[in-house]
Amino acid sequence: MALKKKRRTVPVPVASMGDIAFLLIIFFLVCSEVSKEPDVDLISPRSAHVKKVESTVVARVAVDVNGRIYLDGVPVNAAKDVEWGVRALLTSTISDDQRHVQFKCDAKLPKETFEPVLQAIAEAGGIIEAVGDLDE
Amino acid sequence: MKNRKEKKNRISAIPTDSFSDIAFLLIVYFMVATTLLKVKSIPADLPSGEKAAQAQSEKTPIVNLRGAEIFFNDKAVSMEDLTTRLAALELAQKESAQRVIMLESARGTPYENYFKALAAISSNGGVVAIVEAEEK
Repeated sequence: MALKKKRRTVPVPVASMGDIAFLLIIFFLVCSEVSKEPDVDLISPRSAHVKKVESTVVARVAVDVNGRIYLDGVPVNAAKDVEWGVRALLTSTISDDQRHVQFKCDAKLPKETFEPVLQAIAEAGGIIEAVGDLDE
Repeated sequence: MKNRKEKKNRISAIPTDSFSDIAFLLIVYFMVATTLLKVKSIPADLPSGEKAAQAQSEKTPIVNLRGAEIFFNDKAVSMEDLTTRLAALELAQKESAQRVIMLESARGTPYENYFKALAAISSNGGVVAIVEAEEK
C-alpha cells in the first residue's frame, strides 16, 4: 500500500526582505558617485585607436563648440585657469595612475583654441585622456 | 462617553507590509535609470616645460599637420601611412626619452586631425611633444 506523502508547506521568511532591500539602497547611495560630466555642446572627434578608459580621472576639461573652456563642468576664463585648477587637484595625488585628466573638445575647433588647453594640462602634470568616438 | 472609550482602544500601527515592495521598486528604478559611463579615449602623456625642450632635437621624428595634409619628417603621408611608419619605429620597445614624437600644427588645424595624429602616435607607444609656434 502506497503511503501518501504529505506535502509540507515551507514558509519563506519574508520578514527581513524590507530590511535587506533598504540596506541595498543605502549601499548603492553611499557607493555611487554623481557624474561630473560637463553637459557641454560639442561633437567628439573620431579615431580607430580609441579605447575604453579603465583609469579614473582626477579632472574633466572640456572645450565646447564656441571655444568656452570648462573645468569639472564649471566655465573658466582661460587655459591658465585650467593649469592652476589641475595643478591644485594633482597636489594630493601619489601615483601616475592618479594623474589622468579627461579632455573633450569639439572636432571642428582650430588649433589656437584647444592647444593652449592641452599645454596647460601638460604643464600642470596631467596625463591627457583625449575623448573621442570609435571610427569603425 | 462611549466615543472616548472607543478612542482609547484604537491601536495605531504603521503598516510596514509594503515596505519591502517599495524598497525593491526603488532598487529596480535606480538600476534601470543608472547608466554606467565608459568613455573612449586615447592617453597622451605630453612632456612639459624643460622636458619638452629637451625632447626637441634634430633626430626626433616630427609630424606636421597643415590643414588636411599630414607630413612625417617633411614627407606628405596619409593617416594610414603615418600609422605604418610609426609602427615601424617600434617605439614601445624603446626608452622613454627615445619615444618622443614631435607634433607641429599650422594655424587653423582642426582638432579632428590633431586628435587622429595624437591617437596614431599614442597607440604606437609614442610620447607626444607639442611644438609651439614662435611668436613674431
